[in-house]
Amino acid sequence: MATVPDHVPAELVKDFSYFTGPGMCPMRGGDPQGALAALHDGPPVFYAPNNTYDGYGTWVFVRAEDQRRVLQDAETFSSHRKIFEKALGYDLPTIPLEVDPPEHGAYRSLLNPLLSPKRVMAMETANRARAVELIEAIKAKGNDCEVMNEFAFPFAVGVFLEFLGLPQSRREEFLGWADKQFHGTPEERGEAIRTVIAFMQELVELRRREPAEDFMTFVVQAKVDGREMTDKEAVGMGALLFVAGLDTVAAAIGFDFRYLAENPKQQEELRAEPKGVVLAVEELLRAFPTVIMTRIASRDTEYDGIKIKKGDRISCPSMVANRDPEEFPDPNTIDLARPNNRHVAFAYGPHRCLGSHLARRELAIAMEEWLKRIPTFRLKDDVAPTTYGGHVFGIEDVRLAWGAAGQ
Amino acid sequence: MKIRVVKEKCAGHARCWAQSPEIYDLDDEGYILDHDIDVPEGQERAAWLGAKSCPERALVIEDYKKDSAA
Ligand code: SF4
Repeated sequence: MATVPDHVPAELVKDFSYFTGPGMCPMRGGDPQGALAALHDGPPVFYAPNNTYDGYGTWVFVRAEDQRRVLQDAETFSSHRKIFEKALGYDLPTIPLEVDPPEHGAYRSLLNPLLSPKRVMAMETANRARAVELIEAIKAKGNDCEVMNEFAFPFAVGVFLEFLGLPQSRREEFLGWADKQFHGTPEERGEAIRTVIAFMQELVELRRREPAEDFMTFVVQAKVDGREMTDKEAVGMGALLFVAGLDTVAAAIGFDFRYLAENPKQQEELRAEPKGVVLAVEELLRAFPTVIMTRIASRDTEYDGIKIKKGDRISCPSMVANRDPEEFPDPNTIDLARPNNRHVAFAYGPHRCLGSHLARRELAIAMEEWLKRIPTFRLKDDVAPTTYGGHVFGIEDVRLAWGAAGQ
Repeated sequence: MKIRVVKEKCAGHARCWAQSPEIYDLDDEGYILDHDIDVPEGQERAAWLGAKSCPERALVIEDYKKDSAA
């Protein structure tokens, strides 16, 4: 076990890790989110000495109410984690995620309208057409498929390219980067991040020279606090879109489809009543969120008598808050029509996921169009998907079959 | 029935609006408008559902009569 800082009392230390704890390692048929629900039987706040991929300890906040308090207080619990520093050798803050209030507000105001519920509705037709095209291609090929590679990632990357105003012909290239960035070895990840950054840098330069009707043109022409955006800021925004918008959406599609494959009754109910998809997506976001929110204490502070030192890492796992019995009756039961579902898949507080409205529409579109076009589907040859924990929970392969295939 | 809006807490989830668009209005950035809401009669249930779905607890229900939500 890694070292425990002096200010952490021994009774608050718990041997726990998002990477190696029960249910966290990659395994077929795993349920990493469900496995974490067991934390509600223990202390509401504890210290896990080795709980990041690079060997740091973190405080873990278990209850939804405590996570809300932490994440709403961005001044004490900073979001600037320097996620790119290791790979790049310098700090490139992802904007607006790694900028704290009050500076955060200016960037956020600038970007909010681009991803507001209204704007997302305007993108609906193009995004739906993209999903339909992919599903029709799968259908034309036969009676089975692997959802992550054949649908979830291409769909998420397609939406991303559209949002950035890049041609769809670049999809394969982006898919390659995404694959390395999210599933590669540490070296491959670093390499992929550098490639993405270099790409964004070129795009920024291009759009300064040749403006177009697209996201990066908007960004480089925008004013923050009355001045022009710097290259570094624009690149940091593009890079954040890439890391935040692809893997998470694709993984959520994977978890959703696995659930439906394993629960034919619910699948048929949604097929019969497609209006239920919107609520179902929310419930599946509650049951299978993918992101663990991390913060860093920006000063020494105390939380309900617990001493937290400047620089301490604070971890707010959304999957644990989403299974909090104080917040949700029967938290481990998946009820696709659950009312009052104030789940926290997209975090609380000022850093609430900027892309959340787009993400939930992507999930609803994916499910609606899939159910419309693919008949009753199941896990192919009963091979359960491989799931894993980590900073972003994921699912590696979701093999589905329908009709006579795979029998 | 009244809904008190705690604007500082609103983080733009738009869950209130998704649940009850007839009660909750958002600005162009997707955040709730900064004034309390007098809920018209007959719409208490919709208002209640919207307020309950706010993850930030930014919508406080006031003067709620249980029988009006039935
Ligand atoms: S649900 Fe809450 S946080 Fe979201 S827009 Fe409405 S008031 Fe704001």
